[in-house]
Amino acid sequence: MPAPGVPVLEARGVTHSYGSKLILDGVSLSVNPGEVVAIVGENGAGKSTLMRICAGLIRPDVGAVNVQGRVGYCPQVPGLFDLLNADEHLLLLAPALELSERSVLEQGHALLSELGFPVGDASPTRYLSGGARQKLNLALALLGGVRVLLLDEPYQGFDHGSYVSFWEHVSRWSAAGLGVVVVTHLLTDLTFVDRVVELAIPRGPVADFKVT
Amino acid sequence: MSLRRVIVPATMTGRELLRRHVAMGLLTGLPLAFYICSVSQGPHHAAVTGGIAMAFSVAGASIFAALTARPVDQRLVLAGYRPFELLLGRLLFLELFGVVISTLFSVIMVLGTGPQHPVVLGIGVELVAAISVPFGLAVGALAPHELEGVLMLIGVVGIQLTLDSTQTIAKLLPFWGAQRVISYAVDVTAWTSVAPLAALVYPSLLLAVAAYIAHARAPAVRSIGAAT
Repeated sequence: MPAPGVPVLEARGVTHSYGSKLILDGVSLSVNPGEVVAIVGENGAGKSTLMRICAGLIRPDVGAVNVQGRVGYCPQVPGLFDLLNADEHLLLLAPALELSERSVLEQGHALLSELGFPVGDASPTRYLSGGARQKLNLALALLGGVRVLLLDEPYQGFDHGSYVSFWEHVSRWSAAGLGVVVVTHLLTDLTFVDRVVELAIPRGPVADFKVT
Repeated sequence: MSLRRVIVPATMTGRELLRRHVAMGLLTGLPLAFYICSVSQGPHHAAVTGGIAMAFSVAGASIFAALTARPVDQRLVLAGYRPFELLLGRLLFLELFGVVISTLFSVIMVLGTGPQHPVVLGIGVELVAAISVPFGLAVGALAPHELEGVLMLIGVVGIQLTLDSTQTIAKLLPFWGAQRVISYAVDVTAWTSVAPLAALVYPSLLLAVAAYIAHARAPAVRSIGAAT
């Protein structure tokens, strides 16, 4: 557990380009334990790129990212095998998380059922609805105990009930001390978060404001 | 490294791949089609064509396994796998798959061709399968999409099939060593002592390429408090 006041995630002066196209220019982001931060901005503002850099999936051209503990990353497009089912995805993660088959299934089923996923459905993920795939995507990101949760538009395909209960879960995760970062386009989401970070085009200083 | 960290990815690669019934049927049928179509041109030609065409099957499956796993691998490495463990797991399943189908195919070819050295023919076909896995994994790591991967496969295997094994360009291609072993099985004058060596060195190099790319692409997993 990080000391109080020590951010669980801190990105400093992150600059990144794809070829000659500048995507992020000196962006900084800090997330404290138990804090929920929304990242907003137009299409192409670099929201997903910032998330991928924070997750460690891409290296920034300039800047540094500090993370306390393990990062859970829920990408916009679920990274799943089409012909494996939910339990097989859980079992695949077991050795990486150093969990037994039994405990990974127990943890996974608890998370999936919390999110309203039809636990026990042995259909390969290809045959699941978009919302169900996204719930599995989210559960896999949370598995194994994470300190920071990076969610890139995580509710794509959710019905209204799932969307509302998603924010209840976020509130529970933050109460448990997780730092949560959510990329969103929906203004209504901003009422559920502690702080909003806006990435602007043209690139410039990042607007970072507290939600009251 | 725990064996479980290799066996579980190997098992899941197998499940994912073997559930693609149509693709697997087409992949395993390809070498047989090449063999049957070339029987009329003599036993030597049929054995070499059928044997090298085994690469379409095993390398095709390997390319597919590598490309479908790419977006999932990021998540798996973030969770704690090392890229090499995932590669090794995939290699393990695909080599077993290669052994099974190349053994079955060798029996068909031995019965159909009547080679002078049936065991050597079997070894040659097994070598093609064994080389095909690291070849497919390397192509799967290099190719941006399935189309490019398949075109690379068709290009390399197609050129290897077209060229006479004595030509210099043929010697630079991955299946040359195995091609010479198969040739020897049906024609003892075709022996080249460096062929088995080439058949072993090439896959090692290809595996090193695949491992390097997997490592380079891997997420920058950080220890607690470390900076990227």
